[in-house]
Amino acid sequence: MDSITTAASVVAAGLAVGLGAIGPGIGQGSAAQGAVEGIARQPEAEGKIRGTLLLSFAFMESLTIYGLVVALVLLFANPFAG
Amino acid sequence: MVDSAGLWSMEPLLASRLATHLKNSPNGEEYLCANSGSGNELEPSIEIESNQIRSVDSFDEYVSFQRRIFRVNLVVTAIAGILTIIFFDSNAAISLLLGAFSGILYLRLLAKSIGSLGKTSSSVSKFQLLVPVVLILAVSKLAVIQLLPALVGFLLYKPSLIIQFLLEPSA
Repeated sequence: MDSITTAASVVAAGLAVGLGAIGPGIGQGSAAQGAVEGIARQPEAEGKIRGTLLLSFAFMESLTIYGLVVALVLLFANPFAG
Repeated sequence: MVDSAGLWSMEPLLASRLATHLKNSPNGEEYLCANSGSGNELEPSIEIESNQIRSVDSFDEYVSFQRRIFRVNLVVTAIAGILTIIFFDSNAAISLLLGAFSGILYLRLLAKSIGSLGKTSSSVSKFQLLVPVVLILAVSKLAVIQLLPALVGFLLYKPSLIIQFLLEPSA
């Protein structure tokens, strides 16, 4: 792998993780805030709120995982490496 | 969490707050005079106890929800593994099963951190993100494991969640 491809892969890996984590981070923060407020208001609905939070977190965090996978593939199993 | 000793120590505080609130409200003093000595001072602590019992029942509901997701995830993994063995080679099936068990581990860690949210921690832990990292590193180091089946296996938790959400009667 030549130096330009290596440098571009490292930069792309950093961008993939960094930019890919912004949206899910904001979404998870607001979802957790709403869930904790809901549990405080209705403790009897805690199980349902936590279950729904688990579903939404799993789907939101998968977006971060996509970026993470792209970054790790670029770093450790780069298809553009000659 | 408030234990029984904490509950008894909170009771005078709650009673004094209730009395202050009633005094400040219109006709509050009449209510206090009419109900003095009738045993209504214990009502706030009884309400707190019943809220705690309901919260514990509701958390049990969350634990059983996790168990149902786990079972559906195992069934989906088994079906996907059998289909992979039939239509592809054994290496792909091994990779898919490894990815699927990584996905189950990831979901368990996520459920655990969500379960402790608001109780022992104020934010959701990111520890579960180490699971896909370790999976990709294993794929890059071991020649037996293939990348694409492992990723598909890891993401099998998503159809499991969708199936469980559709099967849930009150969802």
